[in-house]
Amino acid sequence: MDSRLYFVLGDLGSNLLVALIAGWLSSLLIGVGWNMLIAMLVAMGLGMLVGLVLFFPLGIFFGAMEVMVPTMFSGMLSGMVVGMWAAMVPVSASQGAWAGLLCGLVGMVIIWIMNNTVRGVTSYSREG
Amino acid sequence: MDTETQRKWDKAAPNFDLMAGKGAEKRWGPAKTGLFNNMEGDILFLALGTGLDIEHFPAGKTITAIDISPKMLEVAQPRVEGYDGHINAQVMDVHTLAFEDDSFDQIFTSCTFCSVPDPVAGLRSLRRVLKPGGELFMFEHTGSQYYPFKLMMNAMTILTSKIGPDMNRTTVENVEAAGYKLLEVENLFLDVVKIIKAVNPA
Repeated sequence: MDSRLYFVLGDLGSNLLVALIAGWLSSLLIGVGWNMLIAMLVAMGLGMLVGLVLFFPLGIFFGAMEVMVPTMFSGMLSGMVVGMWAAMVPVSASQGAWAGLLCGLVGMVIIWIMNNTVRGVTSYSREG
Repeated sequence: MDTETQRKWDKAAPNFDLMAGKGAEKRWGPAKTGLFNNMEGDILFLALGTGLDIEHFPAGKTITAIDISPKMLEVAQPRVEGYDGHINAQVMDVHTLAFEDDSFDQIFTSCTFCSVPDPVAGLRSLRRVLKPGGELFMFEHTGSQYYPFKLMMNAMTILTSKIGPDMNRTTVENVEAAGYKLLEVENLFLDVVKIIKAVNPA
């Protein structure tokens, strides 16, 4: 992830926004009585879709893959959590949005840890 | 000439800078500048697109640049003319390069092999025009080997391939499959955005 403040704030804001909307929409779509597996899959798909759609305006300002991949991941995570929750008990729109926001923060931390694990240089010998 | 790919990028040309010219360039600029500072000798650059990469080129180089889309090169023209050096920009398909064998010391690509229809054939075609011992420098985005990113990027590609690039390419493996020797792979963001350095074995 980029350490420049513009991108730190942009990445954080993008993820929180996508996850909030994904949680909010999932709480509106999923109701008590839904099969939990179906609710989870539908809401995950919805969250990814929200991430993909919002990538287009957000990507203009904050970049390409560094926006698309995390926002789709956070949207998916938010949809999964809120979707399963809403299938068990009634979840209001504001509760869904707040839970989504929290998922966005968790998603961002997961991406940050993953990125710091994976990034870096692998060198190969010129011979052999 | 692959006219289907040409049409796709001709269509994308007018709005390409809107999506790629601000955030992405600001984000990737320092890494691209570092990569292009390796430029030396006879250089082939692909795909030039709208010329967004030109500002990261070191001054004073003579660069042959190709792109499949004439509309992209039309947009690139002011940047080509503004470069402090010489860029010879031509419409050409990487699969059917019109250059002699062993023409170039170095080849640079920038977010290119997400869009080349047959990437291994394209890389083999590049290898033909790269001198033995010549170097390939790539700034590319690829698919991820990690779940759930791998699934996400496969799903994204169903949509994005219609209007632009694929998101799930295995470019590092393709470089090896085309007969190059890998020198270095640097992951810049996850294992998705990366710099690949390879050599054409002598």
